Order: sequence, then C-alpha cells, then structure tokens
Amino acid sequence: MSQQLPEVLASVFKKIPNLVFKEQTARRLRVELRPDALPALLELLKGRAGYLHLSAISCVDWPENDEFELVYHLWSYEIKTLVSAHIYIPKKPGRYISVYDIYTPAAFFERDIHEMFGVYFEGSPDMEPFILTEWSGPPPMLKSFSSLGYVEETFKWEQYSPDWLKEIEANGGSIVE
Amino acid sequence: MRPENYQPVEHPSSEEYELYFGPNHPGIEGNYALKVRLTGDEIVGIKADGGYLHRGFEKIMEDRLWIQNVALVPRICVPDPPPMEETYARAVEMIGGLEVPERAQWIRAMILEMSRICGHLFILGGTAAPIGQYSNMFWGITDRDYFLDLFEALTGARVYHMFITPGGVRRDIPDGFLDRLTHILDYLEARLPEYDDLFFNNPVFQKRAEGIGAITQEQALDWGVTGPNVRACGLALDVRRDDPYLIYDKLEFDIPTETAGDVLARSLVRRSELIESIKILRQIVQRLPQIKGPIRCNLPNPLAWNLPKGDAYARTEAQKGELAFYAVSTGGAKPWRVHVRGPSSMHAVQVLEKLCLGGRIEDIALIMFSLDACPPEVDR
Repeated sequence: MSQQLPEVLASVFKKIPNLVFKEQTARRLRVELRPDALPALLELLKGRAGYLHLSAISCVDWPENDEFELVYHLWSYEIKTLVSAHIYIPKKPGRYISVYDIYTPAAFFERDIHEMFGVYFEGSPDMEPFILTEWSGPPPMLKSFSSLGYVEETFKWEQYSPDWLKEIEANGGSIVE
Repeated sequence: MRPENYQPVEHPSSEEYELYFGPNHPGIEGNYALKVRLTGDEIVGIKADGGYLHRGFEKIMEDRLWIQNVALVPRICVPDPPPMEETYARAVEMIGGLEVPERAQWIRAMILEMSRICGHLFILGGTAAPIGQYSNMFWGITDRDYFLDLFEALTGARVYHMFITPGGVRRDIPDGFLDRLTHILDYLEARLPEYDDLFFNNPVFQKRAEGIGAITQEQALDWGVTGPNVRACGLALDVRRDDPYLIYDKLEFDIPTETAGDVLARSLVRRSELIESIKILRQIVQRLPQIKGPIRCNLPNPLAWNLPKGDAYARTEAQKGELAFYAVSTGGAKPWRVHVRGPSSMHAVQVLEKLCLGGRIEDIALIMFSLDACPPEVDR
C-alpha cells in the first residue's frame, strides 16, 4: 500500500504523530489523526503537496461515543489524489478551531456545520445562521433530533377528506393504502 | 455605459441604503436573497442569504432506504439533476463494491453530457436575460426542450429521471434513440452560429460582460471555484480529466479555457463546452451499439439491502462544477449520513459576495447568472 503512496505524501504523513492512513481505492486516501494535529497536516499538504482545493468538510454525528466526526476532503491538482482527513471531537463542548486561515472555502462549511450540528468553530469569520434563520430548536442534523417527532409535536393530524374523495366514497370506492 | 453628460450625484457617506435583492429573484435560478448596501448604484456591502429552498434532503435521506434515495437526490438541483443521481449512485457503489457493467457506464455518460448541454443552454439564456436579451433566453429554453424530449423517450421523465441507479441504469435505450439523438445534435450544431450572431458577438452583451465580475487564477484557487468558472480563468481543471469516472478516460475531448475570468469568458467557456459535449455524444453514439452486455449488476432485494460498513467520497464534474457526495454506512439498510457538496456552495455565497463588492447594482444579476449559482444546491 505504502509503495504506491507518492513520496511527498509519505514525507508529510511521517511528520504527523499518530497518523493512520488507508488507501480506499485508487485516488482516495483515508487518514485518521488526532484533532490537534489537523491544522499542521493541512498546512503541510497545502504547502508541500499541492493540496490547494478544500472540496468539503463533512460532519457525522456518533451519539454512541458522544462524538462528532469531522472529515476534511482535500484534492491536489498535482498529485490527483483525494485525502479525507478524519478527526473525532467530543460533543461536549463541541468546539473546534477554524481552518479558514488555510482554506477560504472552509467558512461556508463551518457555518453550515455550526447550524446543522451545533459545532462551534473558533476563528471562523461568520457563525451566524445561513439557512435556518428562523429556527430556534436544536440543531436538526443531530441524530437525537427526530423529524417525525417534531412533526407530531408541532402539527395536528387531520382526516384528509376532500370533496373529490367524498364523491368516490359515496360510490363505494376509497384510497387504497 | 454612462452618457457623456452624466454627473454622479455626490452623496455624503452616510447616505448608504440597504436593498433587499430577492428572495423573489427575477430570473430562473430560484429563490435566493442578497442583502445589498449601496451608495448610489455602487455596492459597498453585500451579504448572501439562503435557506428559501431548504428541504432538508440530507436529513430525509437518513430515514430512507439506500434505493429510495434514488428518487430523492435529483431534486437537489433543478437545472442539472442527472449528476446528482450519478454521484449518489457512485458513492453507494464505492461502499458496496459494485461493478457497473460497461454498457451502463456508456449510457450514464451519455445522460450526463445531455444534461450538461441542457444546463448550459438554460444558463446561457439566463445570462442574456438580465441585460434585456430575452430572445436568447427563449431560444435556450426551446433548444433545451428538444433534449428534454429525448430524456422523456429514454427515461419516461423530462426533468427528474431517476434513471441512474446504484449498479447501473434502469432500462436500456429504446430503438431508434441514437438516431434521434444524432438528429438533435446536428440541429444544435447548426444553431450555434445563430447563437453567435444573436448573443456572443452582440456588442451589447460584450460591452456589458467584459471586465465584469473578473476572477484571477489565484483567487479562483483560493476561493474553491470549480467548473466552467475556473476554466474561464485559464485553468484547465476538470474532474472528468483529473479524477476520471465512468468511461471518460476512453473518450476524446478538450477542456476549453479562456483567460479573462469575467462574465464574457465564463459564457464563452460554456459555448465551447457545448461543442465538446456534442463531440463526446457523437463518440458515444458511434461506440454504444458495439458494447453489449447487461445494463445493471445483480443487486439484492432493494427493500432488504444492507450496505457494508464504510464511507465513500464520490466526485463528478457537473454542469456547474465539482459535485461531491460523502456517504457513510454503518452496515444498515439506510445511510447513516449523506453530505452533498454542490458547486454552488462556493459560487453562490462567498464568490458572489466578493465579486459584487465594489460593482454596480445592475451587474448583480449578471454576475450571479454568469457564475451559474444554483440556490437549491446551496440550501439542499
């Protein structure tokens, strides 16, 4: 596995302690590391290996471990390999540092994760709500938030009987469920 | 262009006012708002405000079976749905280790390129409309309709096809479909000079578009710009070439670029991409009849289909730029998490804000359309 790893990536990975990487498919590298080492990894990847493009930051909620997983997807236009850097942060207090100073696109993803999961990114330029401006409930992408539960609490169920259906029912028909 | 005798009115700096641009956007992009601060007609502050098309796709997908989401994903982006299906399907295939039969890969590439032409025709019309050139808009939408007819013949639906499923495609192409496609491609190719006369060589458009909303190469890389917008800056970056999927490494096509990075350059790149897509489709028309075999790999009962544990990041060159899906499976029948990275997440928010700043109010719509900003993709 490591034979196919480009030299420059191997040298970058060596500098980060406790980093574990796995080649998922061709052009896809999965990297796990400690949260405090992530900014250093990003700096090195951007500066030495041409990882100029932050494709996305994804957040995954893991309620069993009381953790958030943050995944930084980076693409190098030179090496043409995607590095997905996975870190786990505790849900309490659910804070992490912004990487906006390294990658400008991070601002959008950090703001999105803040409003959907409640993770606060220190140093991010804008943590104001973007999509859910009129929402005061808990961050909705958390696994503890149930869409159905919210609907049951907020709205009343009503019998659906429009005129056209009454007409059908009068003739002995019905909606088949 | 201002008249020669134009004298700007000198307002004191406190004469700033705020204008709510949208959410009923006068165009075809969808509901999106911009809070603009202006001095006269000069933009001194701008803030994008999304959320008007938020439908909670990512949350809904966690409550649906893997196969049910096939019906959900195309709805994320209205003008260009097939890349959504393709990217989702590929993320599922990567997690499940499914091999897509070759014939299905060719059919998928055909659908993606047809969709690219549709999207480009749509947005070229959109770029023309804010400067008053409505004929071009009507032309673009009419010519796009010919491709929607083809989609209807192929999939049964005009916009949301739900045709690309994990493991392949739903059906084989109907008899005579490739002939119909060739006919429409001939037609579009003959139409392009007319578009040149009406729009691309039109001095009104050129004067309004030149130098407006220009991005440099450094800015494009720094701001995460992708797709035709980055290629308009002179960078030949394309997921189809850099991170090839399906059969794109077997096809011959160029990656057209321009250097100016402004509204005009972005429109010209889209025009050249129409030609490249026609070129790709002609190759597919030629090769597809020789490729025999199944159109779908064997799938288990989709209602009791547990994908193995794992995660995958699939990328596609959609019509608007880099589209990616990050899917996580815990070994269950439903996705644990699906994250959608639409190209407009960058273009419609940070890039749009930065390009409009210092510009004039009449250029906001033009810049937004030239970036091909798609709000439903931002809101998800």
